[in-house]
Amino acid sequence: MAGVAVRDDARADREFRRFVLGLGRGAAGAMLFGIPMLMTMELWALGFTIDRFRLLLMLVVNIPMLVVLADLIGFERTTTWQQALRDATIAYGLGIVMSAAIMMLLGILKADMPLSEILGKTAIQAIPASIGAMLGRSQLGGDDDEGDEPGDGSQDDAVPDQMSTHYVQELFLMAVGALFLNLNVAPTEEIILISYRMTPWHSLAAICASIAIMHAFVYAVAFKGTHQIPDGIPWWHAFLRFTLPGYVIAMAISVYVLWTFGRLDDVAFTQILMSTIVLSFPGAIGAAAARLIL
Amino acid sequence: MTKLTDNRSSEADNPGWIEWATGLVSAGLVIAMITWVTWEALTAETKPPEFSISVTNREMVEGGYRVTFDIANRSAQTASAVVVRGEILDGGNVAEDAEVTFDYVPAQSQARGAIFFSRDPGQAEMRVRPVGYTTP
Repeated sequence: MAGVAVRDDARADREFRRFVLGLGRGAAGAMLFGIPMLMTMELWALGFTIDRFRLLLMLVVNIPMLVVLADLIGFERTTTWQQALRDATIAYGLGIVMSAAIMMLLGILKADMPLSEILGKTAIQAIPASIGAMLGRSQLGGDDDEGDEPGDGSQDDAVPDQMSTHYVQELFLMAVGALFLNLNVAPTEEIILISYRMTPWHSLAAICASIAIMHAFVYAVAFKGTHQIPDGIPWWHAFLRFTLPGYVIAMAISVYVLWTFGRLDDVAFTQILMSTIVLSFPGAIGAAAARLIL
Repeated sequence: MTKLTDNRSSEADNPGWIEWATGLVSAGLVIAMITWVTWEALTAETKPPEFSISVTNREMVEGGYRVTFDIANRSAQTASAVVVRGEILDGGNVAEDAEVTFDYVPAQSQARGAIFFSRDPGQAEMRVRPVGYTTP
């Protein structure tokens, strides 16, 4: 009996250590993926200028997104929605804490600021940081299985085996990838400045380049995780079923992010289209990369 | 991960009608967009920016008088650093002037701004006009 108790203790201890390790990786991910945005001046300003309803909408939409992401790549090998919900909450919490801590460290948040400014700045940064926390756990880690030692994680990524066999999941991952890269660049003034400088011919080239890069990223260049098109299936099957919907998703996410940041207010349709095309370029790369990495 | 041998990539799945439908709708959207941009490219005019300003509101504020206005750019070219000057005229002489600079007034779009005067323009003639811009 005593032996069993000791084994249970050891087991609980190992569970606890694994959990703390997971938290550490999540925090590292939040930092790694969040730093570019934490050091972007326009995002600090957006913290207090952003329309509060749009901020709220993005904060709320982030919850189901994290839950689904947790279900696909989560902190632990999630099997139930409760576990996914728990992981999503942890990631969101880590995102908030890490963003606030780093902004305090950098002097972006100060005690004498109005509360609404502090909240706004932290909230807007918490979105990319929480995605980063989720990715950090799944990408920096790799020893979820009992008894695994760190370092041998070649085939036990925190990715369930049935991953990426489902069409909707694939589209969802593309949306997350596009959102993540969009959040990096959308707040900067460069996006609208570029769209003002580009002629329609430039944007036509940008559309074609985005789509071509997206397709090549996944199918031509042999990255780890490259998707194989089985023999006998023409290339345009995958192009039509994955690349084009992926590009449309990247565009939709771009419109949403630009709208959230107030870049589309009082702007003519053509200009909206131009800045969307500009933002879809990094978005398309993010979407393609997500299919490979996640 | 598709590199796992026990795990077929989604490309190998037997695609259902929903995948083809999504693909076709997406292709339609992309083609429509390309058509629109091509049309824009072919018909784009290179007229320089043209502004029209309409005063939308005048009100007393602490320490002065605020005049709110919309500035619209009707051409297909975006203007940056647009300087707008407001003047209160008193019998042909400028009695007071105030200036504001817009970072951008995008093509075929509007921007909103305000200028402050220290006195009430009242019945006096007021002029709000753009005085310069740069190309982005």
